[in-house]
Amino acid sequence: MVPDFLTIAEAGELIAKRELSPVELVQSRLARIEQLDGKLNSFIRVLSSQALDAARSAETELAAGRWRGPLHGIPIGLKDIYETKGVPTTGHSKVMIDHVPREDAASVRRLTDAGAIVIGKLATHEFAFGGPSFDLPWPPARNPWDTSRFTGGSSSGTGAAVAAGLVLAGTGSDTGGSIRGPAAFCGLAGLKPSYGRISRAGILPLAFSLDHAGPMAWTAEDCAIMLQAMAGHDPVDPASADRPVPDYRASLAGQVKGLRIGLIRHFYETDNPANEAIRQGIANAAKVFEDLGCSVRELRLSPLADWAACGLTIMLAEAYAIHEATLRERFTDYGEAFRDRMALAALISGSDYVQALRLRRELVAEFTTAMADLDLVITAAAPSEAPTFDAVSKFAIFERPSLTMPFNVTGSPAMSVCCGYTQAGLPLAFQLVGKPFDEAAVLNAAHAYERATSWRSIRPHSPLP
Amino acid sequence: MKTQAMTRAEVEAALARAGLDIPEREKPEIAAAAHFVEEMVVRLRRNREVAAEPAHIFPPPGE
Repeated sequence: MVPDFLTIAEAGELIAKRELSPVELVQSRLARIEQLDGKLNSFIRVLSSQALDAARSAETELAAGRWRGPLHGIPIGLKDIYETKGVPTTGHSKVMIDHVPREDAASVRRLTDAGAIVIGKLATHEFAFGGPSFDLPWPPARNPWDTSRFTGGSSSGTGAAVAAGLVLAGTGSDTGGSIRGPAAFCGLAGLKPSYGRISRAGILPLAFSLDHAGPMAWTAEDCAIMLQAMAGHDPVDPASADRPVPDYRASLAGQVKGLRIGLIRHFYETDNPANEAIRQGIANAAKVFEDLGCSVRELRLSPLADWAACGLTIMLAEAYAIHEATLRERFTDYGEAFRDRMALAALISGSDYVQALRLRRELVAEFTTAMADLDLVITAAAPSEAPTFDAVSKFAIFERPSLTMPFNVTGSPAMSVCCGYTQAGLPLAFQLVGKPFDEAAVLNAAHAYERATSWRSIRPHSPLP
Repeated sequence: MKTQAMTRAEVEAALARAGLDIPEREKPEIAAAAHFVEEMVVRLRRNREVAAEPAHIFPPPGE
């Protein structure tokens, strides 16, 4: 009997020792999807026969002594903006419902080369932007901790599927917080790596200069394993960074003692005030790091609204350029949340866009200076636990400045880390941010925090509430 | 509702100029949300040196 919940590290070890069969593991996840996804809507498309074929191939390879690494035989899900050869990639939209790519996205190829098994395509906000929406070809994903609640977005299906144990990990994308938001609301570890660390080739774009691909999993260690496979230079992506990729899993053994951490308190105390549970969770997390030998000091940056204005203007302008022709021709084929938010982009001028890019340079310089004598930064990932669906308005992204957008503006590696649960059992999270291309430091600190606390042992109830 | 400089007619004219065929039912809500954009773009403008560069560069081929 395969346990309902396994991390990649656990399953990978069992598979390597031939104590767990990839076929059994995939069958167990398919059964779980069958059992639970009717309530979660996390999958747009389940690739049962393809996944079982891949699992049988993995088993044959393992029997022949060819072990590809810790992802070999591990079932994962892909946000449905990651292109998959011969399998529709829709962006969760009527607009691209018939889009069947001829190639896998570069990151998908890297994951399957590492032995991961794609078990299906996962729900997203429409084109990673418009949601949660009830007027799309598929319903929005629901939060496994409480199915009346929002998963966060836009990597909504990945958040739900990983948290419910339907897959062991998944891919997300993050243009303003779309990995870190759902990771926070679903109690996961979600890493937005540095801009350029993972190829964007073959991923439906939202905003070219802010889009980041990344992993979502149960632990920092699993994110490290996923990142190891996904990262690396890709000449097809003009933004891809030609930088060495370190051994992320090995970096988890690193020291945290002596790390210098900045706490950006004003972001979540005054600029976008978080509720008491979040504030307490972050205060407790800061104390855990101090107990581990880190120093924590307050850091002040420009108001959060400046960062959000910069990022949102760039996002809207770039996204509008991508969708402009289709918006003109097929406005109502998009969901209402996507199309009405995008309509606001028509009010942004070319000068506004360039001013946002000028501000971006200034904000990046400000953050670089602030980080000069720091190793990491902590702040909130969201102002509250997951809200109910009816509490999320169409223009919610404009109403309060995003706590995650600053690190899309800077392109820094940033991660959501679970830091407890509300009295009702909903996950809380903080955000851990590092210097460019130092994902290893972020993962190492998150891993140390997870080991120092008990939060990773708590999973959603089954049957789902 | 926040103060908004653009009138509903001005917003609708801008959307029409962009070629967007917006359902009547959605127009008032979009128009009423225009203040979000106005508030954002005000924050983008600073007293900058004339040569203050944007955060993108164009790398010539071969560089």
